[in-house]
Amino acid sequence: MNTPPDNIIQVKDLIVKYGNHTVLNGINIDVKRGEILVILGGSGSGKSTLLRNMAGLMRPHAGHVIIDQQNFTAMSHFDRIEVRKTMGMCFQSSALFNSMTIGDNVAMPLREHTKLEESTIQIMTRIKLEQVGLGGCENHMPDELSGGMKKRAGLARAMAMDPKIIFYDEPSAGLDPIVAAEIDTLILDMQHAFGVSSIVVTHEMESVKLIADRVCMLHKGKVIALGTLDEVQETDHPFVQQFFARKPNPIDHNKENVLESLTNPE
Amino acid sequence: MSYALGYIGRVTLNSLYASTSVCVLMVDTINWIFIHPFRGKGLRIKSTVEHFVEFGVRSVPIVAMICFLVGVIIAMQSAYTLAKFGASILIADLVSISALRELAPLMTAIIITGRNGSAITAEIGSMKVAEELDALKVMGLNTTKYLVVPKFLAMLLALPCVTLIAMLVMIFGGFLVGVFSLNITPEAYFEETAQALVNKDLISGLVKSFFFALVICWVGVYRGFQVTGGAEGVGKETTASVVTSIKLIIVVDLIWTFLFFKAAS
Ligand SMILES: Nc1ncnc2c1ncn2[C@@H]1O[C@H](COP(=O)(O)OP(=O)(O)O)[C@@H](O)[C@H]1O
Ligand SMILES: [Mg+2]
Repeated sequence: MNTPPDNIIQVKDLIVKYGNHTVLNGINIDVKRGEILVILGGSGSGKSTLLRNMAGLMRPHAGHVIIDQQNFTAMSHFDRIEVRKTMGMCFQSSALFNSMTIGDNVAMPLREHTKLEESTIQIMTRIKLEQVGLGGCENHMPDELSGGMKKRAGLARAMAMDPKIIFYDEPSAGLDPIVAAEIDTLILDMQHAFGVSSIVVTHEMESVKLIADRVCMLHKGKVIALGTLDEVQETDHPFVQQFFARKPNPIDHNKENVLESLTNPE
Repeated sequence: MSYALGYIGRVTLNSLYASTSVCVLMVDTINWIFIHPFRGKGLRIKSTVEHFVEFGVRSVPIVAMICFLVGVIIAMQSAYTLAKFGASILIADLVSISALRELAPLMTAIIITGRNGSAITAEIGSMKVAEELDALKVMGLNTTKYLVVPKFLAMLLALPCVTLIAMLVMIFGGFLVGVFSLNITPEAYFEETAQALVNKDLISGLVKSFFFALVICWVGVYRGFQVTGGAEGVGKETTASVVTSIKLIIVVDLIWTFLFFKAAS
């Protein structure tokens, strides 16, 4: 592959709070053009929040997200729309529009953002659906599809505008291993065929091994390790070791400590 | 004591917060109706028409039935009193004036709140829960333009139309009672109705329904965007949407009646 070696996304000193609860506390990450970066971390460690900030769905408390050398956080509403046309997102819950057919879901960004003929849009929609193995499902409603098919339809919609960046929030959560492997293959295909940069949140170690160019580990609002999977596994941060060894936390039977940790997550 | 003060403070802050968010929503909506379309950003005509059919056309049967029966009921109830004074013919005045000024707009607004105000909240709320609102945003589509403006325009058009039908049906209900039960001739009933009504009655009723439409739509939309949590959150906000909407409709009705009839006379 022949990609310029610059960074497609730079996250700088990102701080995100919900009320008084600081979820992300000074995150710095660079995503290289064309790579697949996997974000790991415990449940509730703010992985989805980080993804939502990178995609501009939330405004951070402080810090910036820079997409392709443009400051995404500081730009005007209409400039941001231009940048969004270059990104796609696959949601944890697929987030297909339930009132529309699969075909209309995929065609929606094309209908809204381009002036293409309806017949061209139909053809492009069919191509996108065939790429994810859903050829012929255009006229089905989202309710009629299985979880894995919905995820793939969501991916087809995310790809519709030929984005440069795709975000995946737990793409294989709740799917059987075969479908999960299919999704991994699709993520890799996107990278190889179109040079798409991907940011993937996942818990499946199997798929991390398969797809990750680099891995980033979040813990308590900080990036505690960033590098290739091997490098990260070498890190001697106790949480990293615990995560890869799948060691449980000792269950705290002291009621007051539990209450303390709930009210004061630090 | 300090508890009571804290409560008052909290309620005030919450309602201030709600009013500012509603204002932001209003400004945004107005922007997307009056300003952006002329910069080539387009209005969603098809979706507006679909919503008009849903809010307007499909509401007609239930609104017509209820308003017809209400017309019959007021006529029968007041016939008793009026007959004592030998003034049964005044039924025509009573039914038509109360229908136009008050009952038709109010009944219609309340029925449409229950039918469509709740549906607006539920639709936007479940889209929020299912991350569909985020999906719209990531695609670079504006939620106000896509979800709010079509509903808003449709409601603003539909409610006065349905109200007009409700007025006619209510008067018809009174007419049937007058003709068949009180033995007033149809001609006399018509004449009495025609001379009782002035343009002001009709205009005040229709303008009022326009304000009711604003209330139903904004409360519905605002509550929808407020949904948090899962399906339970949708249910909670939907209930809250109907309750708030009906409360505000009555308040708006009071203010409007005061301004239009009390202050103007
Ligand atoms: N809308 C919200 N309001 C308040 N707190 C939230 C909200 N969304 C997430 N959180 C909190 O932020 C933390 C991180 O959430 P999230 O980013 O979804 O974690 P992850 O995806 O890593 O499981 C959690 O503790 C969660 O309770
Ligand atoms: Mg998550």
